[in-house]
Amino acid sequence: MEYLTVENFKKSFGGTQVLKGIGFELPKGSILAVIGASGSGKTTLLRCLNFLETPDEGKICLGGEVFEAGKRYSEREIRAWRKKFGLVFQSFNLFPHLTARGNVSLAPDLLARERAREKKKQLIKEGMGRRKASAAARAFRRELLQNNARRADELLEKVGLLDRASAYPHELSGGQQQRVAIARALALEPEILCFDEPTSALDPALTEEVLKTIRTLKGHTMIVVTHEMAFAREVADEVIFMAEGRVEERGTPEEIFSSPMSEKLKSFLKREYYDETAIS
Amino acid sequence: MSKFLSVSLSLLEGFATTCLIFLLTLLLAIPLGMVITLGSRSRIKAIALPCRALVWVVRGTPLMLQLIAIFYGPALLFGIVGFDRFAAVLVAFTLNYACYFSEIYRGGMDNIPRGQREAGLVLGMTRIQIFFHVTLPQLIKRILAPMSNEVMSLVKDTSLARIISVSEIIFVAQEYTRQGLIYPLFYTGAFYLLFIGILTLLFRLAEKKTAYIKV
Ligand SMILES: Nc1ncnc2c1ncn2[C@@H]1O[C@H](COP(=O)(O)OP(=O)(O)OP(=O)(O)O)[C@@H](O)[C@H]1O
Ligand SMILES: [Mg+2]
Repeated sequence: MEYLTVENFKKSFGGTQVLKGIGFELPKGSILAVIGASGSGKTTLLRCLNFLETPDEGKICLGGEVFEAGKRYSEREIRAWRKKFGLVFQSFNLFPHLTARGNVSLAPDLLARERAREKKKQLIKEGMGRRKASAAARAFRRELLQNNARRADELLEKVGLLDRASAYPHELSGGQQQRVAIARALALEPEILCFDEPTSALDPALTEEVLKTIRTLKGHTMIVVTHEMAFAREVADEVIFMAEGRVEERGTPEEIFSSPMSEKLKSFLKREYYDETAIS
Repeated sequence: MSKFLSVSLSLLEGFATTCLIFLLTLLLAIPLGMVITLGSRSRIKAIALPCRALVWVVRGTPLMLQLIAIFYGPALLFGIVGFDRFAAVLVAFTLNYACYFSEIYRGGMDNIPRGQREAGLVLGMTRIQIFFHVTLPQLIKRILAPMSNEVMSLVKDTSLARIISVSEIIFVAQEYTRQGLIYPLFYTGAFYLLFIGILTLLFRLAEKKTAYIKV
């Protein structure tokens, strides 16, 4: 059963079309690796999926809900869509003024406050006195915030950084920062977690700890844009090779890496992969 | 000696006015500056252009001229008289400082990487949440040093209020020169130095408090 379907994504910047009709399907719990040369549109694809860019054309179906480019959506609806997708950036983008724990729990905490405010409104509408409603909403908020704190610690533990929970980003190594960013992206329990070259800003020595963390996330539905071919081959259920804004070739890791069909993929792999593993 | 005491007391009274101008101007100009910043960064031209024009005019002319224009302008143009002197001072100072602050804010905001806002968006935060929880804390850290310069200038600029006869401390001291007493004028310097000294300490404290943010 397909869970996520992306159809015919097109996106232009100025006069140049960067995505020329991208589509793919993804079953729940599976991992899709996206590979391709620099400039082929991988980042743009992820940015469209996370609603940082608006595609000119295209459609997303996720768990029965449909987003169609070109239709008007309210800010509220876009926010709801954004929450379905998580994104781990190439450059981490942690909030420098918050600790690791603060980074993970900021968005859930803000959401908790919103929910408490809504609860208060609801209670008042149902005829409860203002005072009592405020008290109930406060108690509700406290409970949510406590849950968030517990959840943040669980996530930091999951990425192996519970002992660094009170550290600020600048006190962490690049690899640790990226692991905090992964915990942060998981905090809102997105249905699809996207990674944009999560290790390309890291020293080779720090790459492995991040890849290890991503491996532990098996079971989440994930889209991983990566230059780490060996990693893509190892973790992915399916691989897409993008070239010039199109899906040039797709298949299982075995098919893509062992028996590439198109010339573009063959020469890409020759540069990016066989060199690296010294098979050729 | 009792003359010295009476001079001190009346200078103190003038100083109270100086402090009031200073505090009210800060209180009003700090948020107004942000409004102007957000306005001049707006994608809507009808909002952005007037904001930028305002900043250009205000930064391009002397504060003294603005003060005179605001105090005498309504009377000259519309025949409205009796505009409160103190109110005119507040309007002129607030507008002037809001524009200078807005330029500082703008510079600070331009230096916050796009990725910060995007990280907030991806986490489903609203624009307002992003402003208060992501942008503002980093902005405060970045603008602290240039803001401290402007705030120090404001302390000294309050003395311009005397040109429309608002009795701040210099105005009071000048009254004494008419009586042949010069020293009160120099005496005011002590008040300014004390004020600046306290502000310097406060800004240093603020810098310490935000030292944990590395941007
Ligand atoms: N905001 C933008 N404005 C204009 N052009 C853009 C913008 N974003 C991306 N592009 C262009 O779109 C093309 C695809 O960029 P994209 O970042 O999606 O490629 P990529 O596959 O992620 O490359 P890389 O492997 O280098 O990260 C590039 O030519 C880039 O210059
Ligand atoms: Mg990219």
